[in-house]
Parts: sequence; C-alpha cells; structure tokens
Amino acid sequence: MQQERLNPAFYALLATLIFMSVGPIALMLINSFKLDVDIISGTSGLLFLPTIRNYETALCDILWYTPEHMDYCALKFGGAMINSLIIALISTALTLVIGCMAAYALVRFRFMGRDSASLTTLMVRMVPPAVLLVPVFGLWNNDFCISKQSWLGEIIRESFGGRGDVCLAGTHSGIILIYVAMNLPFVIWILQSFIVQVPRSLEEAAKVDGAGPFQVFFKIVLPLIKPGLAAAAIFTFRIAWNEYLLASALSDRDTKTVPILIVNNMSEFNVEWGVIMATGMLLAIPPIIFTLLASRQIIAGMTAGAVKG
Amino acid sequence: MPQIRLENLVKKYGAVEVLHGIDLEMANNEFTVLVGPSGCGKSTTLRMIAGLESVSSGEIYIDDRPISHLEPKERGLAMVFQDYALYPHMDVAQNISFALRLQKRPKAEIAAKVREVAEIVGLTDFLQRKPAALSGGQRQRVAMARALAKDSGIFLFDEPLSNLDAKLRGQMRAELALMRQKLAKNMIYVTHDQIEAMTLADRIVVMHGGDIQQQGAPEELFKKPANKFVAGFLGSPPMNFMDAELQQENDRLYAKGHGFAFALPEQKAKTLGKTEGKVTVGIRPSDLNYDDTAPEGAGLNLNVRVAEYVGAQSVLMCACETSDVTVELKSETPIALGKTLRFAVRPEGIHVFDRTSEVAL
Repeated sequence: MQQERLNPAFYALLATLIFMSVGPIALMLINSFKLDVDIISGTSGLLFLPTIRNYETALCDILWYTPEHMDYCALKFGGAMINSLIIALISTALTLVIGCMAAYALVRFRFMGRDSASLTTLMVRMVPPAVLLVPVFGLWNNDFCISKQSWLGEIIRESFGGRGDVCLAGTHSGIILIYVAMNLPFVIWILQSFIVQVPRSLEEAAKVDGAGPFQVFFKIVLPLIKPGLAAAAIFTFRIAWNEYLLASALSDRDTKTVPILIVNNMSEFNVEWGVIMATGMLLAIPPIIFTLLASRQIIAGMTAGAVKG
Repeated sequence: MPQIRLENLVKKYGAVEVLHGIDLEMANNEFTVLVGPSGCGKSTTLRMIAGLESVSSGEIYIDDRPISHLEPKERGLAMVFQDYALYPHMDVAQNISFALRLQKRPKAEIAAKVREVAEIVGLTDFLQRKPAALSGGQRQRVAMARALAKDSGIFLFDEPLSNLDAKLRGQMRAELALMRQKLAKNMIYVTHDQIEAMTLADRIVVMHGGDIQQQGAPEELFKKPANKFVAGFLGSPPMNFMDAELQQENDRLYAKGHGFAFALPEQKAKTLGKTEGKVTVGIRPSDLNYDDTAPEGAGLNLNVRVAEYVGAQSVLMCACETSDVTVELKSETPIALGKTLRFAVRPEGIHVFDRTSEVAL
C-alpha cells in the first residue's frame, strides 16, 4: 500500500481560502451581538457580553414589545424585509412561469424569426440596468399611470390612500415588472438548453398516449427541466433580493427593500455598526433558505433511462 | 378491430416529396410489416398514421373514417417507439398507467390493468423502479406494456428492437411473435431488418424510395419477388445477380452470360413471353448446390475466394468470371479456397429481371 501524502502547502492554501470566505461572515455574526462600544474598541472588544439588542433595534417595527433601550422605532426593517420577500418571490415566480413557456416555444415551435427572437432575448441582457433606469423612472412616474379621476384610480386611492395619479412608480408591481423584464432573457436562455435535452420522442409518446399540448408541457417537459427551473429560480431570486439601483429609484417610503434600507441607515444616522451587522445577517437568511430548498431539485441525470443513448 | 386504409398518401418536406402516394389496406388482425432501407419512407408512413407527421395529401382511414386531420390523442392508437421514450420521472407503474390516468379512469381499474399488463410482459417485480434502473430489454418491455395498457385495437411499432443487442433482439422477437398470437390486434411494424419482417409478418410491405415495391405474405415475396429490389432485399445472404442474354437453342430457352448458361424451365420460358433480349438473372445462394456432375445448362463453375463458416452452414464468396456469386451450403461439403467447383442450379430458383426496368419477368 502506498499512501499518498498531499503537500502541506495544499492544506495551507485550503485554510486560507476557508478563512477568506468564512471570516467576514463570522465577523459580521460576532459583531451583530456586540454593542457599538465593543465593536469600535478594538482588541478589548474580543471579550464581550452577547446581546440581542441590535436585532431588537433592527426588528423593532415588527416586534410585539418595545425594546427597553429605545423609545422610538425609527428603523422599518421588518417592513422592508416583507417588501423584499414579496418582490423577490413574486418576480421569481413570474419570471419562471413566463420564462419556461417562452423557452419551450423557442425550442419546439417552428415560426418565423425564431432564431433571431432567441438571440435578441439575450441581447436585452447586454444593456446595463443603469441605462434602463432613466427611461423606466420616467415611464413609471409619468406614463404608466391611472388617472385618479378614473373609476379604477378612485377605488385605489380610496382604499389605499395617497395623493396624485396612481402610477407604477413606488409600487411593488413597478419593481416586480422591471425585475421580471431584467431576468427573463437569462432564464429563457438557461431553460432553452434544458428543454433541448428533453427527447422529442418523449413528447411524441405522451401525445400518442392521449396528452394535449398543455399536458405534454406540464406533465412531461416541466418535471424533466426541474433542475433548470431550480437553477433559474436561485439566480433570479438572488438578483431580485440584492438589487439596489433600480429599487432605490422606483420604490417609495412604503415599498423600500432591505438593501436600500441598510444603505439609508448608514447615511441618515451616525453609523450604527451593530445594527448594520444585525440587518446584514438577517438579509442573508432568506436567500440561504431559498437556495437550499431550490438546490434540492437539482438532481443530475433527470432524463436518464428515457431513451436509448 | 379497427381497420386501417391508406389512400394515395403523400408526404412532402418543402419541395422534396418523400412519399409518392402510398396505397395500402390492412386486413383485420393482421400483422403488417413495413420494411425497407433507411430513408425509404416507412417510418414517415407510420408516423403519419400515428399523427406525429402531417399528411401532405391523400388520406388515412380507420374504419372508413378519415383521420388525417385528427390530433394523435384523438386517433386512439398505441405506439412503441424505437428509443423506448419512457418517462424518466415516473416509475414503471406510472409509465404504464400514464394514458389511463390521462383518461381519468378509476384508480382500482388502473391498478388492475397495470398488474395485468405487467404480468403479460413479465415486469411484475419492477413496477416501482424508475426507467434508469432497468436494463435495455426491460425498458423495451415497459414500452410494450405502456402500449398494451391502452387497450387500443391498433398497435404501431417503430423499429422497436433495433436498439437491442443481437441476442436480446432474437429473444424479444420470439416474445413478440408469441404475444402476437395471444392478442387480436391490428399491428403495423416498421423495421429495416428483413429477418424481423419475414419472421413476424402476416403481410410484408417492401418500400423503397417512397414507393411500395411489393406487398404480400412473406413466402410469396420471397418466392416471387416483383422486382430486382425486393429480390435483393429479402433473404440473407442476398440474391446473386448476373447479367445474361436470352437465347433460343434446340427448343429450349437459355440465359447465357459470362461463364454460364442455364436452361430455363419450360414453364418459366412460356410465361416470359419473349425469346431474346438482355436480362438480369437472379439466383439465391441457397438455390446453388455443390454437384460435380451437373450437366451443361444446369450448372456453373465457381472459383471459391472466401469461405465464411457460420456453424452448420458456410457462405462462400465465389467468382464466376466477371461476376461475384454467393453460395450457401452445408459446412461438411469438402471445399478448398482457390479451387474451381461445379454447382448445380435449382431450376425453380432462377429469377429473370428486365435489365433496364428491373421488373421481374
């Protein structure tokens, strides 16, 4: 027996890499349990009494009690978290539904301009979001509006309050819409490559077995591209969750998402490191859960055994 | 069982016509085999019957009802695909019951049907497995079972055995023949393997270049091929073809070529209706017998070049002056490579084809 010994340098490299990736998160986690005094005080802060005060401050607007250390809840983190969840989840769901259908059509149906349509979807992706920001901001504020005098506008103003015409800007829908538009090209692109791999004869077999076009799609194609859907979902969710630029321009006081809240928190008050660390930790949790759930669907070899080859 | 009739069926891809008007009528409970080389249009024909390809012109009738405009699911056929096409995300039981579940049949009925069909194909122990965990032969059985579960009167097979290895193919062929005896169904089977066609078919339809060359019982096609293509396609090893000229001599009609001259049987000579002209003579390898004493006009000399020993039989590749001739004979026959031997021709085994039109005379 020959035992192969790996170079110690390899382990050193491994340790460095682990430290580099885990270190900042560990630092954030530890600091989120410290008082600001302990954070700033350097080495003496290594010994500290853990406190959940930072988390209390961060979540003050959705806690059922008022934390002792504060008399006024200035931070609307809980609300922002809910906004972020609504926007990220709905935009992800919409992107997947539209994306898988579009991808299926682009792969399987024969129509004029199919190839160019397939190519141009990706070209949309080449435009940086910042370029979109100005026209979208203008459109959402001035053009995509329902007059407050109109029948629907009146109902909305009466039930939700607010002034002026009912516009897309400052609503969840406005942000969701732009996220869907932004993520669709890439999702279509990913899913196309998955759909191509579904053997055509499977669809034919299903048709002969008595399935209509929708049954073929939902019962045969969709289950087989689950890994692709999961990958696309993770991708879309993360982008929607982290996006800052467009959300900062298109949201208002009530539809703020978490990234914007954190940045605002830094500038509006003196920098409260403890709270920022706590919000950072809270910000990281939903995408982690989502990714874990979604990645379970990524199983290699979904189509194994379908056809010879 | 529903009867299928094809009437002047044409398939075009753009400007290219791949099927030039197929007319075919299948009898009740008949096992029809469409056979031909790759690209002859046999699979296209089957897929048009199944509804997976559109019909360019002509019509398909099931029980005198035109169906070419119907969706596949409205035709009520069962089909076995060349590459199995099993649903990989479902287990065997779900694969078999897919069609029934789409029809929203009662659960108990579906379960009973799955058990019954699994019994027939011998998959009872594998119902909970996914296709990926099955061997090639088992997958093939699942594909059969899935088609059987539909209770359809018409069964379509698209080269179902071509993906199996030689041994398994033989075994499945036998099982298919056995299953065929038990089931009263109309079956249409596409293959490029003439042995499958000969062994399974009630009726063989030989296709070539988008046309039907000949159709009929296997024996009929083997004994009386309508043209040179059918003669060369059916039978293994294939028929030998030699250029010859017809000549009348001493009241007998002879086919003479380079290094041989056969007297045609009188019956044959009569039906030929002509006494001169350029023809192609076809003789099956099994119609040549090793016989030193074969008289002039009933045999030919062959120079043995290669001998392929295949067990009880040996196949000899020989030369008769300029043409190549294959002979099949018992292995114990004393032969030696490079020697010239004399073979007798079975008179009934001589086929004569027109040299330009290739039609059997």
